[in-house]
Amino acid sequence: MSNSSHGSHQGAAAEPASYQLESARWSKGRNALVLAALISIVACIAGYIQDPDRFFRSYLIAFCYTCAIGLAAFFFVMVQFLSGSAWSVTMRRIMENIMITLPVGAILFLPLAFGLNHIYSWTNTTLINSSEVLRAKSGYLTDKFFIARTYGYFLLWSVWIFAIYRQSVKADSQRSIWQMRIASRWSAPGLFLVVAIGTLAAYDWLMTVEPSWYSTIFGLYYLADGAVGFFAVMILICLGFRKAGVLEKQINIEHYHDLGKWLFAMTCFYTYMGFSQFLLIWYANLPDETQFYRHRMPGAWLYISLSLPFIRFFIPFFTLISRPAKRNLTILGVMSVWSLVVVYLDFYWVVMPVFYPNGPQLHWLDLATLGATLSVTGLVFWSRFRKHAMVPTGDLRLEQSLHFENA
Amino acid sequence: MSETSDSAILIAQIKDKLGIGDDKVYAVMGEFAEPEDLVEAGRRIRAMGYTKIDAMSPFPVHGIDEAIGVPYSKIGWIAVCGALAGITTAQVLIYYVGKIDYPLIIGGKPLFDFTYSIPPTFELAVLFTAITTFLCTWGLSGLPRLYHPSMNYRSAHRASDDRFLLIVEADDPKFDAQKTAQDMRSVGANDVEVVEG
Repeated sequence: MSNSSHGSHQGAAAEPASYQLESARWSKGRNALVLAALISIVACIAGYIQDPDRFFRSYLIAFCYTCAIGLAAFFFVMVQFLSGSAWSVTMRRIMENIMITLPVGAILFLPLAFGLNHIYSWTNTTLINSSEVLRAKSGYLTDKFFIARTYGYFLLWSVWIFAIYRQSVKADSQRSIWQMRIASRWSAPGLFLVVAIGTLAAYDWLMTVEPSWYSTIFGLYYLADGAVGFFAVMILICLGFRKAGVLEKQINIEHYHDLGKWLFAMTCFYTYMGFSQFLLIWYANLPDETQFYRHRMPGAWLYISLSLPFIRFFIPFFTLISRPAKRNLTILGVMSVWSLVVVYLDFYWVVMPVFYPNGPQLHWLDLATLGATLSVTGLVFWSRFRKHAMVPTGDLRLEQSLHFENA
Repeated sequence: MSETSDSAILIAQIKDKLGIGDDKVYAVMGEFAEPEDLVEAGRRIRAMGYTKIDAMSPFPVHGIDEAIGVPYSKIGWIAVCGALAGITTAQVLIYYVGKIDYPLIIGGKPLFDFTYSIPPTFELAVLFTAITTFLCTWGLSGLPRLYHPSMNYRSAHRASDDRFLLIVEADDPKFDAQKTAQDMRSVGANDVEVVEG
């Protein structure tokens, strides 16, 4: 636990600078992921045959959850290029490998494209025409336009992601500052792309589940959820590598401390978004907007709604606020698992009340669909470690990052 | 004639109050060219049993707090107190004004509700924390002060340029001007001086 910084200096210097994952280890990880993917995909197909409605509902949550994490990774990789941050360099390749799973979302979206009518009530034209509000949206909410928009989002993101990733791995061999410069030039408009397009994506995928409801902050709410999930995933991946004895000196307690700060900060940011949305809707008290919360009050949904401030804010906030807590890997690991669970619960709470107005109904497909999307993106993530070093060895700030200490 | 003697007495009084004077020894000071040397020397000086050690550097030097035994700052707890004071003030104020002193229904909203009291509560918590932290940082650092005896050290100005200074203060129980100066030289300090207040 108390991996002192002095030990890490000498260790890093003594180690060969290849930073390549051993192929035996890599194959072991790949096999586990392939097995998980096969089992969950078979389960998903079985579930689809048994109950297609339920499959698509669960799958929508799993899809949005997975993409949110990828989007946040995309955002924070670009932030690092723009700010020239040194502390995170040893972990940047792991973040980039999460980032590059986002284009997989285009494939993961395919099942949804064929099942829109199972999820979105706006696919029903008689329902659309029955309401003045929905009629006004009918030009925007059509099957073809919806699918085209989603593929447009993924196309734009992918162009940026591949461009930045390419520069980053090129820097491994080139060892020049130019790759960093080019990557940061892509990053500035890229940040805009994540927030602006991400907002539209959140509106499309999640908000139109209730087609007559709208909230302008919902995009940031979605991205904030993704950011919490992303840092939780990062901590868990690093802890997993640490347990296997990989990169344990390169990603030391100082780096975990900073990841913990980010997890803490994003938890606060999520709360800010969630509360702002609630406050404005509560204060304006317009039926079009309040229906969202009204639909989350019957039955057990009320308990989830009331518990969100505690499980999403108070518990992680007070657990992670102190410095010793963020430097304790056990606490950090537990809070990361906690964050991932509550982020999923939050997506569940956004989507499911529309379909199950009287209370949540758990289903094994929730788990199977999540397993499918996470293991498929996980495979893409893992495959990158075969091709490239685990650390951006050509980054000029790598040495600084290895010796980094929190003041 | 009497004016000059008055002001001389006044200056003497002020100096006495601040604990400074021409005859008073403030500390033994020495300088280093590298931050690593400062940390190493600080660690060794502390191992000799000195407790009133201080350091000056042009930028934050990692590990120096630990090396010379500076305790973890209390400012975090002070900030918590500021935040709690802000939260309490805001909640009590909103509750008292809206529900007790002048009940008035606005926009069909309850006379008091956590939903709309949270934003001002948050703002007040931030404001109180900021003010408390600012003032207490000054207080804990002994600011404002117009004079500090360490400035009598020949290379004091270089602590904001290219030198790292180590200080053993005279109120250290183990302090002895000759012996301490020798100790400072033994850990590698250059230009060791007994600095007077």
